[in-house]
Amino acid sequence: MFCRSDRWMVILAILTLTIVICPNVHWVFATNKPPPDPCFLINNTLSITAFLNPDGPLGAQESVTIPLRRIGKLFLVEAKIDDESGNFIFDSGSANLVLNKTYFRKYMTIEGDPAGGVTGSTGAIGRVKVKRLKIGDLGFDNLMADVTNLGHIENRRGVKILGLFGFSLLKGLEVVIDINNNVMHLYRLDRYGNRIQSSNPVKYDVIQKVEEFHNILIVKARVGEKILDFCLDTGAESNVLNAFSPKKVLSTVSIQRRSGVVGVGSGRSEVLYGIMNEFTVGSRSIPGMQTIITSLEKMSEAYGIALDGMLGYDFFSQGEICINMVRNEMRIRFTRKETP
Amino acid sequence: MNKMKRWLSVLMLALIYGYVSGQIIPKESCSIDNGRIIFKLDRQWTPEEKREVMLLFDLDSTVMAGVWSGKTEITVKGVTWKVAKVNNRILELSKPLDTVVSSSRGVNDVIMVDDTWAGIVDETEREKDPYGINKFTLFNVFQYVNGKARFFLPSRTGARNVYLSGSFNNWSTTQMPLHKTDTGWVINLKLKPGKYRYKYIIDGRWTPDPYNRQREDDTYGSYNSVVFCFNFQFILRGFQQAKRVVVTGSFNGWNPDELRMFPTHTGWAMPMYLRDGTYAYKFIVDGKWMPDPDNKKIRRPDGSGNFNSFTGIGDSVVFTLKGYPNARKVALAGNFNGWNAGELFMDKTAGGWQLPYALAPGVYEYKFIVDGEWIKDPSNPLVTDPGPDANSILVFQPNYTFVLDQYSDAKKVTVAGSFNGWNKDAYLMTRKDFKWVFPIRLKPGKYTYKFVVDGKWILDPHNDLWEENEYGTGNSVLWIEP
Repeated sequence: MFCRSDRWMVILAILTLTIVICPNVHWVFATNKPPPDPCFLINNTLSITAFLNPDGPLGAQESVTIPLRRIGKLFLVEAKIDDESGNFIFDSGSANLVLNKTYFRKYMTIEGDPAGGVTGSTGAIGRVKVKRLKIGDLGFDNLMADVTNLGHIENRRGVKILGLFGFSLLKGLEVVIDINNNVMHLYRLDRYGNRIQSSNPVKYDVIQKVEEFHNILIVKARVGEKILDFCLDTGAESNVLNAFSPKKVLSTVSIQRRSGVVGVGSGRSEVLYGIMNEFTVGSRSIPGMQTIITSLEKMSEAYGIALDGMLGYDFFSQGEICINMVRNEMRIRFTRKETP
Repeated sequence: MNKMKRWLSVLMLALIYGYVSGQIIPKESCSIDNGRIIFKLDRQWTPEEKREVMLLFDLDSTVMAGVWSGKTEITVKGVTWKVAKVNNRILELSKPLDTVVSSSRGVNDVIMVDDTWAGIVDETEREKDPYGINKFTLFNVFQYVNGKARFFLPSRTGARNVYLSGSFNNWSTTQMPLHKTDTGWVINLKLKPGKYRYKYIIDGRWTPDPYNRQREDDTYGSYNSVVFCFNFQFILRGFQQAKRVVVTGSFNGWNPDELRMFPTHTGWAMPMYLRDGTYAYKFIVDGKWMPDPDNKKIRRPDGSGNFNSFTGIGDSVVFTLKGYPNARKVALAGNFNGWNAGELFMDKTAGGWQLPYALAPGVYEYKFIVDGEWIKDPSNPLVTDPGPDANSILVFQPNYTFVLDQYSDAKKVTVAGSFNGWNKDAYLMTRKDFKWVFPIRLKPGKYTYKFVVDGKWILDPHNDLWEENEYGTGNSVLWIEP
């Protein structure tokens, strides 16, 4: 019916039509470029957008392990923010990304306190835009950050601190905090909150719901006879009980020390130091954790939620703490030997 | 009669029980009950126990004086404390709990606690070891030649990435990647002689060097590997027939067993790291103590009728005191020798007195002792304070210079900061090339500082880094990298 040259014309026409109709198909023969990297690595950086995509292609890198460094009982993660490299404190009690004013004073302030000028107000906060933050292999683009004075942490611990970050950057992931091995693992999740990476199932001792409130996570635990709301706070060198907790709660604490001068954060306040004798999370009792007793009024006001306390270093050192940010679930595998 | 004895015994036992059971230990004296913070205080405490309870719980001395003098209500700084009598011996001091707290952590901040209570260890103290040797189990995993160190981690070739992190790079987790080879991972870097703690980070996981037995507890339940980059070698020529040769000295507390020397074709050797400074030493050859036969020049009496040899690492400072021709004895003392006035005697010269002394780079305080009288160095304008008891300050091999290029008309400019306790009189800047300068030696870390120009505190106008201070005037910030 067709001559040979006509057949070629038809094939060419069909091909042209297909290309026009399906522009999103990657035509291997159209270019010599290699197929896309299943790990989404660009310049050794894994885009958080791609990492968070539950429908993204399966690749070799379904988890990221970030080494943690300790100063005192805080945890440092090395990060690069625009052109500045340095340490960030992993502070799950921080609702936002926070930058140290000493190094980011020149950033254009979008709202809040002007970043320049010596005002004497140590707690002043400005809000700025950050083009790129890289933590481990993960790259975060176009973030908003608070800028405030963190010099008191540097002066106390002798380490340069560029800022703080918490769970606000880790939404949609499963975060395993294993401070006994000084690492944090981040796992990709599918839309149902299951790890994409198949791994050996871990038997957890406690599985419990957490509630997210303005990027901080609240977990219920019992002290004495009372059920209390605790914030999971890796930025607390000790657990904290609110001084305004019920009398029966505070009576369970053995007081070891009182301080009228030791600083809590940038301010100075009076603090009671003691041992929490009757703490239970899930069905698991954890006796003998260190705690301080102080007022959490300011924090409660700032977050708009009445907090009874924080679970800090001593809690996280009990074992592997796994936070699933899709299912809003906390799982604990106790590894600390002295835990009964 | 027997019945009476029995009753007396019971009574005495009861009294002893009452005495013992009534005892309160200071550290267990505080509790919270019914919304009040309560201290149970024992009238029979010793003065030491009374002081202990005040220190542990930060109790005001006025409050405590009121308690022991029998007051029932004491108000200090707007807080009212109540004192109740429990029995003849125990008093109960209390106040409502809600007045204990006055402020707290706000948003965007961390919670830091008292270091001693939390068991936090100061790591910087560990860098002060005056000497060290290495204990690698494979010869090729660490080499140090001419200031260049090579770390090699055999195998692990299946790892995605390996980093080296340690005290030499501020424990950075990203700055020093190792390169993969067919047999393992390797990195070459420049290091000064010294002691370094390190770990590898293999695919994100901290791993001590499996081929290094020199290790230190990392205070977090694991350990750091430790490596020494050598800068010195003790050598004893001859004595090849000896069975056991040891070097010992002031650097290792004169331990007679620790540092066994290696036989060489000319005698014995002991390569090691020795921190800058001056050290006395001796060899022990088959149990016999002896000074270094090849170092006859620098020997001093050891106090037992024999001599110690001396060696100096690092550069020497020549301490000089002009004048005092009639003095019988002049000595030097400073924080570099524990202020020992009977150790460093100066030599008389034509113009005065002098003593060469090897020191590590740093800032030191010192004085001369002329026939028993302690004096400042009259030729050194740097002093710890303007008072008569001040010490002279020596800045040896500075690594940073503070510069202020304005205020040419100022009469007195000093620099003060966290490095000198904010002493505004000690560190006097001098004019050089139309600028005020002050060279200083600072350890790695953060420092806050200000210039004081004719008594007025100012920020460093050429330093963009500054932070707020409690006066609302700001402090300039300086970081010295390792």
